[in-house]
Amino acid sequence: MCTVTPISMTVGANRIVPTIAIPHPLGNPALTHEEEYALRKKLVTRALEALTTDVKDQTIFEV
Amino acid sequence: MKLELGFIQIKDIQFSKECKVENGTLYVNADEVKAFVFQDDDVKACVKEACFDIARPGESVRITPVKDVIEPRVKVEGPGGEFPGVIAKVDTVGTGKTHVLRGMAVVTAGKIVGFQEGVIDMTGPGADYTPFSKLLNLVMVCTPVDGVKQHEYEHAVRIAGLRAATFIGELGRNVQPDETKDFETYGIKEGMEKFPNLPRVAYVHMLQSQGLLHDTYVYGVDAKRSLTTIINPTETMDGAIISGNCVSACDKNTTYHHQNNPVVADLFAQHGKTLNYVCNIITNENVYLADKQRSSDWSAKLCRLLDLDGVIVSQEGFGNPDTDLIMNTKKIEQVGVKTTIITDEYAGQDGKSQSLADADPLADAVVTGGNANMPVVLPKMDKVIGTLDYVDKIAGGHAGSLRPDGTIEAELQVITGATNEMGFNCLSAR
Repeated sequence: MCTVTPISMTVGANRIVPTIAIPHPLGNPALTHEEEYALRKKLVTRALEALTTDVKDQTIFEV
Repeated sequence: MKLELGFIQIKDIQFSKECKVENGTLYVNADEVKAFVFQDDDVKACVKEACFDIARPGESVRITPVKDVIEPRVKVEGPGGEFPGVIAKVDTVGTGKTHVLRGMAVVTAGKIVGFQEGVIDMTGPGADYTPFSKLLNLVMVCTPVDGVKQHEYEHAVRIAGLRAATFIGELGRNVQPDETKDFETYGIKEGMEKFPNLPRVAYVHMLQSQGLLHDTYVYGVDAKRSLTTIINPTETMDGAIISGNCVSACDKNTTYHHQNNPVVADLFAQHGKTLNYVCNIITNENVYLADKQRSSDWSAKLCRLLDLDGVIVSQEGFGNPDTDLIMNTKKIEQVGVKTTIITDEYAGQDGKSQSLADADPLADAVVTGGNANMPVVLPKMDKVIGTLDYVDKIAGGHAGSLRPDGTIEAELQVITGATNEMGFNCLSAR
């Protein structure tokens, strides 16, 4: 899970889930506490899906 | 757009009862400068004290922690004033005449965040690594009001420095310059008609805009809130772009760098001879991936729209901005415009690690400003302007950087301007 996916591609990561911003990858200070929780849950769920998905090449799992 | 710069060579700075420039000497009444600086409400609210000192080339003086370096200038003819949208009103600058107090700078010093303000040594090996050791520096050391928030304080010290430079610049208004120089760029059609056989070249100027006190302002606009846009190079000579950065000292662009951008100077030197210098394209370095994509798309779109043949791209800072650099370069090359990039390196103390966080085969013309991780030893200076309290903490320092005998052992990163990515220094590699 990371914000700057081009760097993840450059360093050779297999499964990449794009996140929000560099200072707050799994949060967003512009949202309410509840909205932020929902956002975080969506991102982590997507990352778990990615982990259980077979990949042949470097893959970005869009959220 | 045509601007005449009139250079007034400053050969010495003296504290005095009156403020004036006479026979190349700047006489300063520190109380008068301070009174002008403190007329600003934000400065008054956030800055407890501002003390002035002078550092001359060759003196055994260490200035730290350095926030910004600013060249005093004054608009003597034409619309607007210096630092438009921040100090002067927001009118378009870059035409008419501007006087420059050359050979000196206003340096703001004192703790902001503590870990990203730099060191300027006026003599010794450290002095070789910073261009500011060659200037007469009027240093303003600020201390915060108790309990003030860091971002409010950064703003206040930024304004304080610009106001001090504005006050000093004004002293050059009625002084006959030692030398004058004209700078002019043309409209698109006009330029093509004037130089039909010369390649069309622009400068893609990346501005640090990561937020959290890593910011640059254009006519007072926070660069992270702007899309990629076009600016005339002469506007930057009138202070249209200013630094609000507390980032690693070695590769942050101070306001002085923006006023004296060497890429702009070199492109002007070739303008009408080997190339047609079209304009500057300013683009940001934000922390959201969507912003990086949008801004670099826009850079490429503008390059294509302007029918450029080539661009020079300069970066500011390091780490994730390496991605902005590579995205800009890749996309601009893909629309058929040749690129050369200027960056610096974080290649480890032995220089053997990967230099940039990102890379692409299309970025095949690179100029480096040096390796910021290179270890340096800076001998003790007789006098410190500011404080040594943060030497162990500044980026490039480590616990024990300040030795008991006053020597500093650290990475080159600690020195203001050491690996500047506009190429405003002498380090490079072949």
